[in-house]
Amino acid sequence: MLIDVNAYLGHFAFRRLRYNTAEELLKLMDEKAIDKAIVSSASAITYRNVQSGNEELFEEVKGHEDRLIPFAVINPAYAGWEDDLRICREEFGMKGLRLYPKWHNYELSDPRCVELINRATEMGMVISIPIRVEDYRQRSWLVDVPDVPLDEIAELVRRCPEAKFVLVNGIGFVNSPLGQKGSELPPNYFIEISRLSALLRNEIGQLIENIGAERIVFGTGIPFKYPDPSLVKLEVLEISEDEKEMIRWRNAASVLAL
Amino acid sequence: MEMVIDCHAHLHHHSSRTWQEDDRKLIEAADKLGIDKLCCSILPPRFPSTPEGFQECNRWVAEAMERFPGRVLGYCYVNPGYIREALDEIRRCVEEWGFVGIKLYNEYRCDEPVVFPIVELATELKVPILQHAGHPHYFVEDQPRLSDAGHIAQLARRYPEAILICAHVCGGGDWEWTIKALRNVPNVYLDTSGSVTDEGVIEMAARMLGVERLLFGCDMSMTAGIGKVRSARLSEDEKRKILGENMERILRMRG
Repeated sequence: MLIDVNAYLGHFAFRRLRYNTAEELLKLMDEKAIDKAIVSSASAITYRNVQSGNEELFEEVKGHEDRLIPFAVINPAYAGWEDDLRICREEFGMKGLRLYPKWHNYELSDPRCVELINRATEMGMVISIPIRVEDYRQRSWLVDVPDVPLDEIAELVRRCPEAKFVLVNGIGFVNSPLGQKGSELPPNYFIEISRLSALLRNEIGQLIENIGAERIVFGTGIPFKYPDPSLVKLEVLEISEDEKEMIRWRNAASVLAL
Repeated sequence: MEMVIDCHAHLHHHSSRTWQEDDRKLIEAADKLGIDKLCCSILPPRFPSTPEGFQECNRWVAEAMERFPGRVLGYCYVNPGYIREALDEIRRCVEEWGFVGIKLYNEYRCDEPVVFPIVELATELKVPILQHAGHPHYFVEDQPRLSDAGHIAQLARRYPEAILICAHVCGGGDWEWTIKALRNVPNVYLDTSGSVTDEGVIEMAARMLGVERLLFGCDMSMTAGIGKVRSARLSEDEKRKILGENMERILRMRG
């Protein structure tokens, strides 16, 4: 079993994506033996009204719910987010959220964001935060969106101990309380591997040492990114088979209550 | 037997306390990923480099070639601002120590006249120049003389016999811009290295430039480097060219 916690459907404003329909993404997943994937709307990253992206996603994953696990993109600074959240959970059956504080221009410490996380947590939803969408050096001349600072996320996980967070597209956790021993943060967050090194500095190995393999999850970033870099990491990591299974799917299955 | 050659790697400057261990880890990483040879330079911790600075780096690369025989191939790094010393150094590295190419960083833009004698010498010696490059859509304050693929294309048109390698298409900004800028300059190769693993980059480069002009590289992003080529929608034959055959062809040019 292999579960990808970092996948997307739809369009991105600044680059053409391939494999961005359910059918195409599933073909790619089949080729790479990825059984299930958490997907959210790539279009919602730049839509003003993110709910349109969630509606598109809901239509796209219909009939594929056994493999594609839709997460809603919710913007707590936009009118009607409470309705968006309710509809995504109750009508669309979405199991989690993806938050883009820097793209949507709010702070993770904003009371509206904290309220969103608390409400979603009460509904049993998981909170996924992409640290970045794409490499900042290739950004369009139109936008200048910074990465989400890890210390802001550390503060958030401390503030919302009941919530479950999945942090994707991040790096440098070992330099942050999120990836250090004895940081006294609640163990309510999981770190996805697509940008982490498995060789040389071996950040994945350091994180396993510091916070345990039970907090690391597999993800690729498809179709923004190629799937194989993450697969190669699993191959070269010198850890036990049991730890690999945790990363491959068990941790994700646990957080998603599959 | 197919050969896998990383066209863009770095050994560690000896001012780092852990350079020996870090160099060894690079070779171990190559072992795990099936990379046979690594084309390596050492860059100084501070730029611009003095002649003593780049000579020291190159001497350490030569020592590493002996320490890891058959695994490490040397790039001679120089600062073109010290042109006499740079030319002497290139000749020594290539002719006496068997280095396979030249590494240029960002002290000068590659289309500035100060670089021309180096390109002329590289052409005479039949070795490639790996040119640090990138094209972000903003001014990079700490690299005011950063070259991009457009500058490399300019240089390639001026010196059509030169063998130029545009460094890390996946580590320096808008890769679609970079690929398009290189379309019509057949003597420029594209190094696939860098930490960015965007889906489609290898296929677009293959379509626009031809697989013969693509060189596999990691620039220390090891799993990213191998993973990109593995994922690309290309034939095994095309992947073999990217992974090693194209670089082997370049290495044979010197004879």
